[in-house]
Amino acid sequence: MIRIVVALTAFAVFVCALIVFRPFGGDDTQVADRLGTPVEVTPEVANVAEDIATEATRAATPDITSVVDAALAATTPLITDPDTGLIDAPRRVDVARPNTDDTHLNDMTNNVLAELGFAGVEPVTTNSQVLRESTSEILAGIEAATGQRSVLQERDTLEAIVVAALRSGTSDEDIDTMVNEAAAAGTVAVPEILVTSDGRVDTHVLLDNIIVQAQIAAGGPAPAIPDVSPDEVDGMEVRIVQQATDTVQARFYTVQRGDSLGAISIKFFGSIEHFEAIFEANRGLLSSPDRIRVGQRLVIPQLDEA
Amino acid sequence: MGHTAVAAITAVLLAWSTAAVAQDVRITTFKGSSTFTLNGETFTVIRNPDTSAVITGDFARTSRACPPDCLQPMVAATGVATLGELEVLAFLETAVTEGRGLLIDARASDDYATGAIPGSVNIPAITLSAENRFRKDILRALGAVDINDETMTFDGAMDLTFYGGGAWSSDAPDAISYLIEAGYPPSKLRFYRGGLQAWLSVGLSILLSPNG
Repeated sequence: MIRIVVALTAFAVFVCALIVFRPFGGDDTQVADRLGTPVEVTPEVANVAEDIATEATRAATPDITSVVDAALAATTPLITDPDTGLIDAPRRVDVARPNTDDTHLNDMTNNVLAELGFAGVEPVTTNSQVLRESTSEILAGIEAATGQRSVLQERDTLEAIVVAALRSGTSDEDIDTMVNEAAAAGTVAVPEILVTSDGRVDTHVLLDNIIVQAQIAAGGPAPAIPDVSPDEVDGMEVRIVQQATDTVQARFYTVQRGDSLGAISIKFFGSIEHFEAIFEANRGLLSSPDRIRVGQRLVIPQLDEA
Repeated sequence: MGHTAVAAITAVLLAWSTAAVAQDVRITTFKGSSTFTLNGETFTVIRNPDTSAVITGDFARTSRACPPDCLQPMVAATGVATLGELEVLAFLETAVTEGRGLLIDARASDDYATGAIPGSVNIPAITLSAENRFRKDILRALGAVDINDETMTFDGAMDLTFYGGGAWSSDAPDAISYLIEAGYPPSKLRFYRGGLQAWLSVGLSILLSPNG
C-alpha cells in the first residue's frame, strides 16, 4: 500500500515538473494568434516592432500594432484575483473597431436632415449629446471645486462631417474615406449598427438611411420589405422547421466581409428599422450590434405583422 | 478631606453636565465640529444635537432590490483604502482644503441634487466608464495630463475619495474600478463604503442643495 502511494506521489511530482519546466518546449515562447499564424515573441522583437510602429506611416501602423498587441496579450500571464482566487479571462484578440456610442442612426440621420434645412424635420437630442451635456455639467462641478478651468474639448461629430460633405457635394467614395479615417483616428464615434464585420464604418448604410428618411420626410412611402431568395443573396439559407402545430420557414444568414447589422437589416427588411429584431434574435452570438464577425450564422427573424 | 474630594467630583460632574447640554453630540470627545474649505468656500460639519433624532425618508429604508443594489465588499480594489466618517472628515480638512483632493459623490446627478456630503463633487459612476467618450475630459479636469493620443500620466492627478448611497450601492466601487482601468493609480483613490446612508445614520450634516 505504502509503495503504491509513494509511486503515485513520485509520478505526480514528475508530471508537475514536466508541466512547470517544459523540457521539450524550447527556449522561445511560441504563441499563435487567433488565425493560427505562429508569432515568435522575444522582447527584442516586440521592441523593434514597437519602434517600427511609431515610425511607420499611419497606414501601416494598425497592422504592426495589432500584431504586437496580439503577441503581448498572448504572453501576458494569467492573473489570479487575490480576493476570490478566480483567474481573470485573458483579453480577447479581435479586429480593431471604431468607437461607438449608443446614438440611434435614425436620430443622427434626422439631425443631419434638420441641419441641411429639410422642411418639417426638427432636431432631436441624441444619446451622444446627453452624454456630452452631463459631462459638461461634471466639468463645471469640478471647476467650481478646484478653481481650475475645465471645459470639454471640441471634437468632430459624425453628423458634422456628413453635413459638411453633403453640402460641398463630396462623392460617396470620398465620404467613405473621410468617415473611416476619422473613425480610425478615434476622433468620432459612430452608431453601433454601422460597424462592419471587418471593423470599418458602413457609410453605404449611413447615406442610404439619409436618402430613405429624406424621402419619408418629403411625404414618400417607407421602403417595402423586399423578397429575398438564397439564389440572389450570398450566405443566405432557408430551412423548413417543423413546429408543434405548423411548419415555419427559418431563414439564416452567414455574415460576409464588410457587412454591418444595418446592411443586413436593409438586405432582408428594406430599411434599418428592424436591426433590433435581428439583434434580439441573435443575442447568444452578438454581445452588441457592433460585434458582428465574418462567418457568424445569424437567424433572420420573422417579423410579427401587426 | 473626604468631603472636599466628594465636592470636587460633584463640581466636575456638574460642569460636565452643563457642557453636555450645550454640546451633547460631538464628533469625537475632542472634536465638536469639522471645518474645511473647498476653493475658498468654507463648510462646517457637525452632528445633529437632537439625541432623539432618527433617519427619515429614503435613507431609512433597509432593503433595496438586489440586483442592482447589492452589498459591497470592504475593499473596493487592491491598493484602495476604505474610509470611515472620521477619515472622510480628515480628508476634507487636509487634502480637500489644501486643493490636492476631492470628495466625489458617484451617484446619479438626480440623487446628488437631493442632498450630499458638504464639499463633495458629483461624478456619476457611469460617466467614468470607457463607454463615455468624453471621459478623458473628466480625467484631465482631475489633473491627468496627456502624454500622447493613447496614454495619460496621473502623476499630478488629485487624491479622490468616493462614496455612493450606502454599503448596498456599487456606484463608488464601479467608479473606482473604471478609474483604475483608465490608469488612475489606486494609491490616489479611497472608498467611503458607508456612503450617504452611514453619514446620515450618525447625524452628520449634509448639504440639501449641493448644486448651489
